[in-house]
Amino acid sequence: MKIVVTVKLVPDTSADKRIDPATKRLVRGGVETVLNPFDEYAIEAALQLKEKLGEGTTVTIFTMAPETGKEVVRKALAMGADDAVMLSDAGLAGSDIWGTSYAMAAALKKIGFDLVITGTQSTDAITGDVPGMLAEYLGVPGLTYLRKLEVDGDKVRGQRETETGFQTVSAATPALVSVTKSINEPRYPSLKGIMGAKKKTIVMMTLAELGLTKAVGSDGAKTELTDLATPPVRGKGQVVTAADGTEGARIIVDFLKEKKLL
Amino acid sequence: MHDVIAFIEHTAGQPRRVSLEAATKAKELASKLGGKAHAVIVGGGASAAAEILKGYPVDQIHVLDDAALDGFLIDPSVDALESVAKAAGPALVLVPNTMTGRDVGSRLAARLDAGMNADATDIVVNGTNVACVSPKLGGLTITTCAFKNSEYGVVAIRPNVFTAQAQAGAGEIVAIAPSGKSYAIVVEETVNEAAAELGVEEASVVVSGGRGLGGPEPFKTILKDLADELGGAVGASRAAVDAGWISHGHQVGQTGKTISPNLYIAVGISGAIQHKVGMRTASTIVAINKDGGVPIADFADLLVVGDAFAIVPELTRAVRSAKA
Repeated sequence: MKIVVTVKLVPDTSADKRIDPATKRLVRGGVETVLNPFDEYAIEAALQLKEKLGEGTTVTIFTMAPETGKEVVRKALAMGADDAVMLSDAGLAGSDIWGTSYAMAAALKKIGFDLVITGTQSTDAITGDVPGMLAEYLGVPGLTYLRKLEVDGDKVRGQRETETGFQTVSAATPALVSVTKSINEPRYPSLKGIMGAKKKTIVMMTLAELGLTKAVGSDGAKTELTDLATPPVRGKGQVVTAADGTEGARIIVDFLKEKKLL
Repeated sequence: MHDVIAFIEHTAGQPRRVSLEAATKAKELASKLGGKAHAVIVGGGASAAAEILKGYPVDQIHVLDDAALDGFLIDPSVDALESVAKAAGPALVLVPNTMTGRDVGSRLAARLDAGMNADATDIVVNGTNVACVSPKLGGLTITTCAFKNSEYGVVAIRPNVFTAQAQAGAGEIVAIAPSGKSYAIVVEETVNEAAAELGVEEASVVVSGGRGLGGPEPFKTILKDLADELGGAVGASRAAVDAGWISHGHQVGQTGKTISPNLYIAVGISGAIQHKVGMRTASTIVAINKDGGVPIADFADLLVVGDAFAIVPELTRAVRSAKA
């Protein structure tokens, strides 16, 4: 079984991110690029499947990122993936969710797969819309939000989280699944894994190889950033003293109603 | 774009509130665009949901009532929306920013080669152009994104932001022709877990406890009750986790989870920087603390100074009666 895990490179989630008020862009200086933490669960899920299925199962990491992201991709390889493919092309700059999914799907078709595993969302954009769009462009079933995943022959089955419980869902491969944080505890790369990752192949791919018929990047994007505003800094709110539980509860309920949270 | 289509997510004929918000917003936007507002309802109980939708201002309610479709994930709804969208012509499609809404919306966007705007908190019409306002980077910045290069646009709307306004519209019921397709993703079973535990990172409401709670019990009782009543999850500060009162999976902060719920209620948490970085992007922060001089006073939207053990159970009761 050929498993491809899609990962995104994102600004370090623990860094104190801020927007430069003059340029209205994210201040990236001093902020490290890391693997999207949600994608580590996807990598772990793939590695566990490989361990279970044994011989003949491979795990390929795929990312759409500038070549400077190579070292971050090596971390995924150090966890135990076999090889990686990076779609890296200046023409992708400014791609929106649509263009990203469309280009990624073309690359994944070129790589070939039985199963694509993704995280549920990225920590920077947080849209959670790429897995669905990707599955549609790939023309395969998309089993999303899985907290359990098993493969039996050409069938993939999992527990899909819902707001109120779960659904057991299944489909035939080739398929795409997205996995949640509940599915596993991602492993740390071992020293041996880190050393071994240096020798693993990272194939660079460009847009020209994909033969896309629609424009991607900022020209082809179907959404365009027209304004970027910095919300007011979270300031001091109201501080109210409650004489007893009933009064405290009333203050909070009134506040929640005013905020339309209740 | 002239017509606006709202995807109605429902459970056995009971629409989710966000879908009624979408239906109301659809009419408002359609009026500005000079088109019609549509609602699309698919699955078992769709006709019953359509009756409820008649009380909202949409022009047409497209219905595909077939319980057999509940045996398949996502695709039947995408097909139904696609057929309504193609019949309507250039249109804006509103889906709820929920797990199912995102799945249906994103697949539909790819099907229609449409732009997608995620987690919208406002939708602005300018002539025939539509732009969406969404908070990004955990609320660090607010973006406005306009649709372009596409006849269709899909917007996932954030729940609880738009108002659901009961006001009957034309409400013409239109049957959606079954696609006749066989679907790929089989739903083998659907389980509602009474004790379903929502993770803090996915919950829209998080009720967190800290050192001030003094032990493990309140996490299982008063905090859990309030979280359940608000449909949320229980979180904790590092102090509470380190003390062994609750497991690490619940920890919010630098060495735990970084979350952006709609509402964060911090109970007995002082709000030191290590905790703050994990939750400051919550839309609204309410704190309950016996000390008014704690750091959280500087960034909570509301700090109630008082006895958490008295306030929290009363709050749970008050929320219950407010919802009733």
